[in-house]
Amino acid sequence: MLCVQDCTITRNSRSLIHALNFTVSAGEVLTLMGPSGAGKSTFLSWIIGALPAEFTVTGELWLNQQRRDTLPTERRNIGILFQDALLFDHLNVGQNLAMAIPAAVKSREQRQHCVEQALENAQLAGFSRRDPATLSGGERARISVLRALLAKPEALLLDEPFSRLDQTLREQFRQFVWQQVEQQAIPVVLVTHDPQDIPPDGQIITL
Amino acid sequence: MRLLTLLLSLVAIGFSCFAQPTDWDSLRQQAKGQTVYFNAWGGDPAVNSYLDWVAGEMKQHYGVTLKVVRLADAADAVKRIQSEDSAGRKDNGSVDLLWVNGENFHTLKQAGLLKDGWAWELPNWRYVDQKKPVREDFSQPTDGAEAPWGSAQLMLIGNAQTGVKFPRSAPELLAFAKAHPGKLSYPRPPDFTGTAFIEQLLIVLTREPQALRLPPDPATFKQVTAPLWDYLDQLHPLLWRGGKTFPPTPARMDRMLADGELLMSVTFNPAHVDNLIDRKQLPHTARAFGFAQGMLGNVHFVTIPANARAQAGAQVVANFLMSPQAQIRKANPAIWGDTTILDSATLPAPLGEQLNAQKPAHLQAVPYLPEPHAAWVNALEKEWLQRYGAK
Amino acid sequence: MSLRFLAWFAVGCVFAPLLPGLLMMAKPALMPEIWQALWADNQWSGALLATLNSTVISVAGSLVLCLVLFCGLWPGARWRRYAAQLPLLLALPHVAFASGFLFLFADNGWLTRLCGISFHLDEYGMGLGILLALKESWFLLWIASTQLNYQTLSQQLTVARSLGYGPLQCRIRVLVPSLLPRLKWALLAVVAYSLSVVDVSIILGPNNPPTLAVLAWQWLNDADPQRVAMGMLTSLLLVGLLGCFIVLGWILWRVFRRAVGRFSGQRHLLNIQPLASSLGLVMTATCIAALAMLVIWSMAEGWFYPAILPDGWAFSGWQAAELSPLGTTLLLALASSFTGLLVIILWLEGGNPRFDLWLALPLFLPALPLVAGQYRMLLILQQDGGWPGVIWSHLLWVVPYMLLVARPAWQQIDPRLVITARTFGWSSWKIVCLVKLPLLARPLLAALAVGFSVSIAQYLPTLYAGAGRFTTVTTQTVALSSGGDPQQQAIQALLQMLLPFIMFIITLQVGRLLGRFRQGLR
Repeated sequence: MLCVQDCTITRNSRSLIHALNFTVSAGEVLTLMGPSGAGKSTFLSWIIGALPAEFTVTGELWLNQQRRDTLPTERRNIGILFQDALLFDHLNVGQNLAMAIPAAVKSREQRQHCVEQALENAQLAGFSRRDPATLSGGERARISVLRALLAKPEALLLDEPFSRLDQTLREQFRQFVWQQVEQQAIPVVLVTHDPQDIPPDGQIITL
Repeated sequence: MRLLTLLLSLVAIGFSCFAQPTDWDSLRQQAKGQTVYFNAWGGDPAVNSYLDWVAGEMKQHYGVTLKVVRLADAADAVKRIQSEDSAGRKDNGSVDLLWVNGENFHTLKQAGLLKDGWAWELPNWRYVDQKKPVREDFSQPTDGAEAPWGSAQLMLIGNAQTGVKFPRSAPELLAFAKAHPGKLSYPRPPDFTGTAFIEQLLIVLTREPQALRLPPDPATFKQVTAPLWDYLDQLHPLLWRGGKTFPPTPARMDRMLADGELLMSVTFNPAHVDNLIDRKQLPHTARAFGFAQGMLGNVHFVTIPANARAQAGAQVVANFLMSPQAQIRKANPAIWGDTTILDSATLPAPLGEQLNAQKPAHLQAVPYLPEPHAAWVNALEKEWLQRYGAK
Repeated sequence: MSLRFLAWFAVGCVFAPLLPGLLMMAKPALMPEIWQALWADNQWSGALLATLNSTVISVAGSLVLCLVLFCGLWPGARWRRYAAQLPLLLALPHVAFASGFLFLFADNGWLTRLCGISFHLDEYGMGLGILLALKESWFLLWIASTQLNYQTLSQQLTVARSLGYGPLQCRIRVLVPSLLPRLKWALLAVVAYSLSVVDVSIILGPNNPPTLAVLAWQWLNDADPQRVAMGMLTSLLLVGLLGCFIVLGWILWRVFRRAVGRFSGQRHLLNIQPLASSLGLVMTATCIAALAMLVIWSMAEGWFYPAILPDGWAFSGWQAAELSPLGTTLLLALASSFTGLLVIILWLEGGNPRFDLWLALPLFLPALPLVAGQYRMLLILQQDGGWPGVIWSHLLWVVPYMLLVARPAWQQIDPRLVITARTFGWSSWKIVCLVKLPLLARPLLAALAVGFSVSIAQYLPTLYAGAGRFTTVTTQTVALSSGGDPQQQAIQALLQMLLPFIMFIITLQVGRLLGRFRQGLR
């Protein structure tokens, strides 16, 4: 369960986010809506722990009964998906995915197996050795979701991940994401300005 | 009318071909307004300020603009002259006057790149001390292509304060090195001074000194130089850093002497010690000394390339450099201290006395030993590098 | 007139002397007796060892320092503070830094006087390698700071961190692989410089025998034609050595790529920021200490071992210092760097990137044959001794350095911006002026500063092409350095530093100004 308590983000004494409060339970998707520049991405960057220095923030972040806003990004165990797939160009698809696998998976064969399974699950079998730069936009987006989820995060943030895709791809990708997320049963926060992105029966907060 | 003009112009051209000034006044006239580029080694501030004075005098009294081009090495100018020659630039060359001696002069003269016969025609030549080797450079005749400027002698420098007795011969030097291991060294050949130090040792150690007047003969080279290499083989382990490495320049050795890392330095200018003491680069107890038998001496010259642009101006400058006034100022240890090449007996009395009075204060004078033939430099360097040039 | 023609014409004018220079160097390679003479000479093996030693220390050291500082400090306020110091660190010319370094660390140097520590710096080229490692690391850091796209990289870093990897791990796995290819040209220049540097090697390097570059230079300056030929051959061999280093670098890069792609799943939170901060501090302190040494020496009277401070102070040296060479130096440097900028813009737009390596040749070849070739051409054209001739001769060294700074940034321009501009009907010229140049303002300013410093540091080109008519701070410094007066040398070194320092500050400030109002240009 993800809890945000009284989050206020200000820059130059202008407040972007004012006393935001919400709770998201496992398997649930919360959508943050608002026009551009309302501070949605900034808010996500606070949750992930990468808030730029020019912002000041008060508030608390709790995930699964543990306070997270005092931890550095690498210890928060929260995944994020940006608009760009942001696959690492110097690694192939398989290495991009292998990077996410937690330390608990010890042997190389096991990790390879995880990667292959995830790719099959996404109908991308055999893509393991491909160069990310040669993939289409939809393929890259799917792999970046796989990567985020392979890390077994306790929560997932989505920063307008669908906006770069065309209509048909969007629909497919959306379904793919909700399906993957359901399997993991983690709280999800989605930021978007397109009402069509909102999943059925989820919370909506408008900034 | 047209024929007349043609005839007149032909006559004018004919006259101008013959109008080479051979007398001094017309040379001075020609020189007025010229700019002379004097390429000289610029590593010594004493020399640089002396040349600045010369430039002032030339402008004031002769109307010649003297521009000193400071070089790190005379080779920089020699290569330029050679490039100009190979590009076919027979006049309007970039170097008007060049401070040179030894190897570089040899190279240029052999290639025919120097103006000949002018030095003896200069008015101040009559004051030059003919007893000094002013007509030859490294035992090679100059043919009047070089005007002598000053006299140099290899000297050793030491700090009297350390209480040590300075060595006055090669065996004494070896004993000195034994008594003070790790405190002596000399600049690494092919540094000019380093090579001269080796030549000095060769002159005093060889059993066949007459062979040094001629180019080295490969057949007898080993024989002539054997005592030198034996000596160095004994000396090197006692030197600074065990003789595995040598200071790159005499200037670096001066610093090491000042800081006490070495007990001796070498120099080609006997008055260098005075300069350094004046500039507080050496303690006032420093002294220049040499072997009792004598130290290597030579004369350094200025020369004019054959393709120089301001030939008249260059000759006027060379003449001024040889003038009593300039030589007296130059010999003053407070200014530069470079020994004169003039014979004070040929000068009018007050000037002659003034010249004699310019003596370096911190110096024990020793006799001059003539330099070997120019080809020995290369041969000795090669052999030294082969034997000691790597660890 | 087509852009391509102009580009080739401009580059052809500047690089014309390369061909005769190369031919001059290649000739001895065909003469077996020169090879034999080289083999018989007993100095070259020791010289090779010294060269390899100093180059490996310099290149590996500078790369490691650069990466440690980069990974430890980027991004954030600390990095910006450090990057602000880089102009000072870069503006100090190599020779000046080496002199200061020597005053500090020599056996009778200041550090020995202070605490009795003494290193034999010139053994095996260690001191030379360390100095070059320091100086070149700042160069690499500066190139890195002008090349990187903050936006994309910080987002990638966030993703990596969200996967649980600690600060150092992220940077090694994500940042370094994208940084290293951008540093490729700069690293090439570092290797080339370390292999061929002469003046710094004379000050700090081993002496018996010296490095290959110094050996070649001694031989080239010799009167004996056989020695000159040996010098040419050695220079050619140095280029061969460079080739070996390039191959080695390529192999190491492949090994690194493979290693970076292997994930054991281990995450650790190692953060080298404290290490990087303290390292940066030590490096800057060394630079400032060397500078302080120069300043003290410029006013010292009677400073002998083991005194920590001079016996007396005198400003006579400064009063007597000639400032007129500064004017000549400034004009030459401004003219060369701006002309160079024009040439590289023409080449970047109209030239073929495949020939870039040829344009970088002057960085690896010894200056003397190239300068002699230039002088010959100027003599034939009767242009020796004049301003255009000297500026033209400087360009042969200014352009390669400016190119290596600007090329990576040029390659990063988003082609879609250009296509968009074309759809507006803009001509190539308009696109260059209105789209590409503003985008690359910072890298181009950086290139300008580099070109400026390179022009200031030229000795042989100024001397030859200028036929001795042009006195710059560098010709003064080099002439004086052949003698021994520390006071004079210190004064000249400080004067030599003045102009590049001001130029670097100016370009940094202008760059900041541009970035303030347009975040995308940052």
